[in-house]
Amino acid sequence: MTKGRLIALEGARGPSVTAAAHELLGRAADDVQPGRISQWDASGLFGELRWNEPGAPRPSPRILVLLYAADLAFRLRREILPALEEGRCVVAAPYVQSAVAFGMAAGLPHRWLVELFRFAPEPRELYRLRELCGQTECACKPSEGYLEFCCEVLGPGPRPWDSENLRRRFVEFFDLPESGRSAAGGQPIEVLAQPPDRGRV
Amino acid sequence: MPKIPKPEPERKGNGLLIVFEGPDGAGKTTQRKLLKTWLEGEGWKVSTTKWNSSPLIRPLVKTRKAAHSLSPEEFCLLHAADFQHRLETEILPALQKGRVVLADRYFFTALARDASRGLDLKWLLSVYQPMLWPDVVVYFSVSPETSAKRVAGDRTPHFYEAGQDVTGLADPFASYAQFIRGVIGEYETMAPFFRFVKVDAEQPIYSQHLAIREVFQGLGHRSHES
Repeated sequence: MTKGRLIALEGARGPSVTAAAHELLGRAADDVQPGRISQWDASGLFGELRWNEPGAPRPSPRILVLLYAADLAFRLRREILPALEEGRCVVAAPYVQSAVAFGMAAGLPHRWLVELFRFAPEPRELYRLRELCGQTECACKPSEGYLEFCCEVLGPGPRPWDSENLRRRFVEFFDLPESGRSAAGGQPIEVLAQPPDRGRV
Repeated sequence: MPKIPKPEPERKGNGLLIVFEGPDGAGKTTQRKLLKTWLEGEGWKVSTTKWNSSPLIRPLVKTRKAAHSLSPEEFCLLHAADFQHRLETEILPALQKGRVVLADRYFFTALARDASRGLDLKWLLSVYQPMLWPDVVVYFSVSPETSAKRVAGDRTPHFYEAGQDVTGLADPFASYAQFIRGVIGEYETMAPFFRFVKVDAEQPIYSQHLAIREVFQGLGHRSHES
């Protein structure tokens, strides 16, 4: 059992998740032990992926989820678990549920997604960002978040992936019973308001 | 051995998928090339696919292997992404065209190596779902000593090939000799469950090739490119 405190924050818009993570950390970390934020693509896997070179076949949703899992394994090993061992507070933004939500939105089986991420410890607290009502478009750059990246990769190409639908189904996932993997001890997901001045389209 | 998931035969088309498995130094590549030449001479359309060769994922794995920066989970998940990409872009399209696909290693390689790295076999099986079952898995069986001797005669094994990430040994040859014992142990455990066709890879090359031809002929010729 680690000594620190793992907080997961999930959401559809990368920049809003980042801003909210800083707010959460400010609230949660104590003055003695500074906390840290662990973010998507700390391993650089997505940034290095040459999916848009001429003639290169694009990754499928399943590959994007496997890469997310590899990135998360890296974050756990290099960022999250060492900080928890030191007794620090870590805000993982995003964590497991965002990848599950994307996978579900893209039609992957929930059971496979849950089993795939079995290696990740349950967070002590779980938050998600409230989506702005009716907004299914996002002007964020692909490098700013996992869902943005996936929408960009899957958007054009041979399969008619619709980024608006992906985003809508991603958000809807959190209302499904399948999203019931809550924080440790069965605590429910707390919904956070969008941070001010960020994440607005 | 955990419960083996059901295959998804409907995705496969009318091609034939033949998998070559076994430890390094067992002679898989030699036998794969011999079979390919023979099959093409017999008029078959043949495609081959090699482990960790996806143009999309391989560069990611290569840089991280060179930096010795992968944990067993990361190693496993990146190879699974590589496999999935080849499955979607190489293997399935070839099978759907009715071609014979020769796979120089398949997900059994990951199961053997990653389980030897201490990962849970049930989790590994789930990572590789949905599974496309081969028509036949030819398993080239050699002793750990033979594998180590053949590899040492050919090259210095790489860091992960030698399992130095898990043995902690500085000498790649000593590490390989230790690591491959576990890998072969995993293969031997899997062999009856997955119905591997075992070929004694310590036998002469041509007699192994003849044995593999017989295996192919026993499959029934139901594959034709459309």
